[in-house]
Amino acid sequence: MNEAAPLPEAAVVAEKLTKRYGSLTAVEDLSFSVAPGEIVGFLGPNGAGKSTTMRILSGTMSGTSGRATIWGVSVALDPAGAKRHLAYMPENNPLPEDMRVEEYLTLRARLKDVDPSRVGERVRKVMDDCDLTRRASGRLIGQLSKGFRQRVGIADALLAEPRVVILDEPTIGLDPHQILGIRDLIRSLRGKMAVLISSHILHEVEQVCDKVVIINRGRLVAQGRTEDLRRELLPEVSFTLVTRSDEAALLAACRTIEPAAFVTALPSADGWSTFRISLPTGSPARETLASALIAAGISLREIAEDRFGLEDIFLAATRRTPGESRRS
Amino acid sequence: MRHFRTLLAHELRSAALSWNTWAAGGLFLALMGGIHFFALIEASRAPSDRTPVESTLWFFWLPLLCVLPLLTMRTFAEERRSGTLAALLTTPASATAVVWAKFLSTWIVWVVFWLLFTLFPFLAVQRLATPSDARLGDPSILWGGLCFIAISGLLHVAIGILCSCVTRSSALAALLAFICLLAMTAAGGAMESLPIESWEWLGWLREPAAHLRTFGHLQDFAAGILDSRPIILYGTGTLLCLGLAVLSVEGQE
Repeated sequence: MNEAAPLPEAAVVAEKLTKRYGSLTAVEDLSFSVAPGEIVGFLGPNGAGKSTTMRILSGTMSGTSGRATIWGVSVALDPAGAKRHLAYMPENNPLPEDMRVEEYLTLRARLKDVDPSRVGERVRKVMDDCDLTRRASGRLIGQLSKGFRQRVGIADALLAEPRVVILDEPTIGLDPHQILGIRDLIRSLRGKMAVLISSHILHEVEQVCDKVVIINRGRLVAQGRTEDLRRELLPEVSFTLVTRSDEAALLAACRTIEPAAFVTALPSADGWSTFRISLPTGSPARETLASALIAAGISLREIAEDRFGLEDIFLAATRRTPGESRRS
Repeated sequence: MRHFRTLLAHELRSAALSWNTWAAGGLFLALMGGIHFFALIEASRAPSDRTPVESTLWFFWLPLLCVLPLLTMRTFAEERRSGTLAALLTTPASATAVVWAKFLSTWIVWVVFWLLFTLFPFLAVQRLATPSDARLGDPSILWGGLCFIAISGLLHVAIGILCSCVTRSSALAALLAFICLLAMTAAGGAMESLPIESWEWLGWLREPAAHLRTFGHLQDFAAGILDSRPIILYGTGTLLCLGLAVLSVEGQE
């Protein structure tokens, strides 16, 4: 790790960040923070302003207004100081084609102020961690597959043991095996480094991240832990069931235990009907629904609670207008 | 400073391994070798005030316009196009260190090319000189001329670097450098050949024309006249171009 320094409350702070290109506003009044050692997913549709925000935080682009700090150091006022605590892997992970992996990482280690006596050791360590030693260390970067290039980018990010790592789409273009490897690698950073990671693979983000920040059209629409966002953005629970009963009978049975329940018919097949029953979050009927339906004479073939994942949260959050956004 | 040294070593290594440098070097030696060969033939045909080396150096503008843009064009344009410059700037290395490292490495390569050129006069002396041909082996003209090329090369390389900073296209960077270097080399001569004395309204051009006489500077250096004015001109011009290049790199988004 870098030299001992007092632990700041937040490793990354974005405060009312705004970026305008002429009349186009890419990011507007965006505020969020990442705690030390926390892994945060940064989500948003294409063109939402994720990469712009990450570039402002990394000091490769200046914001129009607002404040960004990395480990308590202002990115605008002391960019070199902020960069000492930060590693940033851009979206397309640009790498020099004509260098070998080991010599590239050695150069980057020297530029990132790694102690000269530890450069070799750090390069070997990150190459081992990213599974580069055996198959890629002596090869030209231009000859590497997309997966190995991503690994080189991540190895570069981890070289100087930074306090903060910003990864813009680190798993883009990787096959499932490679995604699993990168996921485990990022997971291993929990508690050691603050990681801000953008990805379109929401399942990955849900698996890896402690919390998520969702932006849309440059503005914050939601942030918090997945469970909290689920409660905030999806204020109902639902069950899918397969039965021979009709919709009216089903609705009547549901209303006996939860007056606010409603039933939606779904596509059916083989003479069986499929319905979705929605109940308000926190309704006690959630626990007694199945027994109540059986008691009402509804013939059930299947009943299961729908699990809302990050994808549903993301869709609900990005359907919101930015003005509705609030902190969880 | 530590970053600068690291970057300079990296740039020199990259230059040594780049096909672009070897192609430019080959072109340079072919051009200068050919010119020197014809200068020797010309000197053998008729008496001349100029030595073959002096006549060859007089054509310094040819590699300046044809070879130097090949060396400078990729320095920033290619890195901007591929995005590796942005990645480089995510490290604590400053834009100033990056610009100066690329500048100095390119200048070193340019000077090395000209040092290789000295092989031609050396071989000519070894093979052709007789005791009566003392001027064929006169090194003062050669080294004086090379001093001019090294000093003016600072500004010429800085112009090429600046041109490479302002575009993502290497070809466009080379074209811009060619135009700027042509304008700079030709400007002094063109102004000197204009009848400024008889055009009163152009009187203000006399001073700049006197300073920009590139071929006059070559002549002075080759004759062993050390004038501080061209040194200041090339030095300040270099600092101005590199300062603009740093601003351009810092401002790239």
